[in-house]
Amino acid sequence: MKVIYWVFIFALCLIPFHRPCLAGDSAPSPSLECSISQSDEKQDAYATQMALVTVPLKPSGVEEPMETIADPLEPINRTFFHLNDKFYFWILKPVSSVYKAILPEDVRLGVRNFFSNLTTPVRLVNCLMQANFKGAGTETARFLLNTTFGMAGFLDPAKKEFKLEKKEEDFGQTLGFLGIGPAFYINWPILGPSSLRDSIGFVGDLFLDPQNYLVTSIPANIAVKSYIQVNETSLTIGEYEDLKAGALDPYIALKDAYHQYRQNKIRER
Amino acid sequence: MKLPHLLGNILSLILILGITVPGLAGDPTEKIRQTTNKILSIVSDPAFKDPSKAKEKKKLIRRAVDECFDWEEMARRSLARHWAQRTAEEKKEFDRLFAELLERTYMSKVEGYSGEKVRYERETIDGDYAVVKVKILTQKSKDIPVEYRLKKEENDWLVYDVSIEGVSLVNNYRTQFNSIILQSSYENLVKKLREKVELK
Repeated sequence: MKVIYWVFIFALCLIPFHRPCLAGDSAPSPSLECSISQSDEKQDAYATQMALVTVPLKPSGVEEPMETIADPLEPINRTFFHLNDKFYFWILKPVSSVYKAILPEDVRLGVRNFFSNLTTPVRLVNCLMQANFKGAGTETARFLLNTTFGMAGFLDPAKKEFKLEKKEEDFGQTLGFLGIGPAFYINWPILGPSSLRDSIGFVGDLFLDPQNYLVTSIPANIAVKSYIQVNETSLTIGEYEDLKAGALDPYIALKDAYHQYRQNKIRER
Repeated sequence: MKLPHLLGNILSLILILGITVPGLAGDPTEKIRQTTNKILSIVSDPAFKDPSKAKEKKKLIRRAVDECFDWEEMARRSLARHWAQRTAEEKKEFDRLFAELLERTYMSKVEGYSGEKVRYERETIDGDYAVVKVKILTQKSKDIPVEYRLKKEENDWLVYDVSIEGVSLVNNYRTQFNSIILQSSYENLVKKLREKVELK
């Protein structure tokens, strides 16, 4: 458990990145020190963003400052992007396609529900850490309902009958909630897009995921995680292709989508 | 990866749900509802099921969408500060290319509509701007929150941005275009756009 202390020390190291990097539309400059402009415009944008409201309703023309994520590691990230692209088309997609052909969709959805049910502690604890008691209650109720009436988690009666939606929370979002910015973008091989903050969040969540306590042998653990990924991919084949089809620069499209998505998840309760 | 589906499905949802009918000022949400039905009726009309009618179907859907989307505003916002430096001719060309890109990429997704229901959650109006929040209710996965941003032009509400799960279409393209322009040039961006559009 000593490792968990290191996780928190890393989290403390993120405090200098407390303010989100309002890099604006400047030329890409690989620097960790985000140049936070003192202009009123950007201060307002920052304040609005941190005030847990959505983007200001009345846009001030096209010159509204846009928040982007710093990318000092862009060359490496792009390399991993190409690597992940090949990995998807050469390995993950073929395997998932075969798997998809063998198992009917309902079964695969059931598998997804089952593993999602098992990771309830991750969402539950992170809701509590964000003082989201309603969310914590929802997750508890979902777990109890789905485990008992949902065939140990394969079904999702909590959503179907009781309209209780899953509250997706993780440690990266908790850190974001506490005001820690993403710092910079990291595109991991295999694991995909992330940020410094979210990568630390990922490690932190490893201690909350019951799967890591049930399956302690590392090869078996990786096998289970790989299976979950194949199952998930079989349900979402075509989405990555769509991203590439619609983008002029898929690397940037993915990076920006990831960043906007995470900012939104942190904002919403 | 979960994220690509957001971008991949953005315009399929836009095209499916559509927005306002021109000439009727007032409640943006009501306009969304009306135009949604309009497009859905085209998609599920048995008269158009025949593949030979596909072109006509596409034209009708495109027309319904054109009534609702402010392509020029979207193109302008996605170029952001690079827009002002463009000549009138360049602006026109960019508008056309951008609209083509969106149409070609996402038009086919409209066909993929499979009966998802839409729940209209909230509408906020502030002068000439409005935000309509809806939720697409899916059976397979969790409900998808979508946000439409509309602007009133001469008594007519038009959409200028769509966000799915917080990912704004305009912002996403803005980041891409900005990066391409800064690393090469505007001409290179137009070249890439042309290549992408003509390839399909």
